Amino acid sequence: MSARAKQAPAKIWHDDYPQLGTGPLPIEPYISEQHFERERDKIFRKVWLNVGRVEQIPQAGDYFVKPLEICRTSILVARDDDGEVRAFHNMCSHRGNRLVWDDKGSSRGFVCKYHGWTYRADGSLQAITDEKRFFDLDKSCLGLTPVHVGIWEGFIYVNVDPEPVESLEDFLGEVGQSFAGYPFAELATACFSWQVEVKANWKVGKDAFQEVYHISSLHGRSTGRMFASPANPFLNVHEAALFDPHARISVPANLDWKPHPVEDLAKRFGILTLQKQGISSAGMPPVVNPTNSPDWSFSGFNCFPNTSIFVSEGGFLTHTFWPLAVDRTLWETRIYFPKAKTMAERFSQEYSRSTFLDGVMAEDGGIFEATQSMLASGAKTEFYLSDEELLIRHHHKIIADYLNA
Amino acid sequence: MAESSLPDAFFDLNPYLEWALPSEHARRAKRASTSMSEIRAFYDAMLERMEAVLSFLEKYPADDPPADVELLFLLATALAEIAPAVEMYGEQTADGMDVLRLKPVDIYPQRLSREL
Repeated sequence: MSARAKQAPAKIWHDDYPQLGTGPLPIEPYISEQHFERERDKIFRKVWLNVGRVEQIPQAGDYFVKPLEICRTSILVARDDDGEVRAFHNMCSHRGNRLVWDDKGSSRGFVCKYHGWTYRADGSLQAITDEKRFFDLDKSCLGLTPVHVGIWEGFIYVNVDPEPVESLEDFLGEVGQSFAGYPFAELATACFSWQVEVKANWKVGKDAFQEVYHISSLHGRSTGRMFASPANPFLNVHEAALFDPHARISVPANLDWKPHPVEDLAKRFGILTLQKQGISSAGMPPVVNPTNSPDWSFSGFNCFPNTSIFVSEGGFLTHTFWPLAVDRTLWETRIYFPKAKTMAERFSQEYSRSTFLDGVMAEDGGIFEATQSMLASGAKTEFYLSDEELLIRHHHKIIADYLNA
Repeated sequence: MAESSLPDAFFDLNPYLEWALPSEHARRAKRASTSMSEIRAFYDAMLERMEAVLSFLEKYPADDPPADVELLFLLATALAEIAPAVEMYGEQTADGMDVLRLKPVDIYPQRLSREL
């Protein structure tokens, strides 16, 4: 055993959270239509949801549209003439047509294709076609319906509750503040992203990114051995910590991993996301490597309810799970990099993208649907969690608390 | 791409130009439908030259490369695309979800390797 070998896990994460218990968890929340509808009303229509980043709309007039089926709406996020990020229900004030049909764009205003009503980027109603034929309209009251919007470290959050119970800052709380100083903006100048609809409950997806216990087995042929080592074969984490309603884990690296030939080239000519061993966390906030472990690879911030943000040295990535139905989810993944300076650095980023496509999107995505199909069988009613799956247990508890509030 | 050719120093890679596809989806579809022996032949030929390829690509800024440099970059990117098949799986695809189902969403539009 090398000097840096992990000792037998003396720390039991659950010991810090006795209120969570250690028993099995019910499968019902993954397959019950009724449970899904309660999640819609009591969670997704109440809490702050991460819909993107400020880099998507850098200039005044830039906008993107985020369909939020789970909130039964479509959200228009735009940067107004004063540079403020605004969010609105994407709905014309006249007879309710969905106003903007593009995914994204840049415009000085928005024109409803139905009857041509026009709106400014700040959401105010600019003009009504053939206005004189209307009765007693007060245009100043007929702007787009605003949605509460907040920015945290460049991430854009919306809250469709007309009166949110707490600010975004309070919602993210201590764990949100702990990321201050992580160079999100510097690292978010280039991005690969994908969307895919998976036949699984949103929590099946989210759960996979709340633990790394699966990495040595599910990813055994791909990335597993980059993280799990002979000394820590099941990839016990450096830290699992809960910050209601959010959570955080810190993940070891296998410092003895010998890169594959193409991986080695990619590492020498650039930086890979989450795939470099012996990463330096110098100059980053302590949250990034909270135990200051030399064999650290990345940390995960589980942002309740449906986003996971993973941070490392050369970049960060996000997974967001948008519920469509109890057994259908839009999985949205974005891997962020600092913009490459040379074509060789771009190659390294392409290598990162390619291995991510196989080692995460294909391998984890396959599990989502395979799991959901069997949960739906009803053959079993409970499942069992190890100490390393603390965050899943916590997520269940938080969801139950919201539904019972 | 038909009108482009590789930089002169890399003429020996011309037989593999069919791999220099402009989108992730096209490269992935080719990987899934090509035999492992052909994939390995491409891998071996490219790997032998990659040190030189990357040293060459390192001289070019990341934006708006000349057409021949872009073609070489796409060929290198195809190596990145098939590397997991050779180095990790020993077969064309991972055991999991078909990645051709994924819809790439370009939120920063400058990445020429990902024409959608």
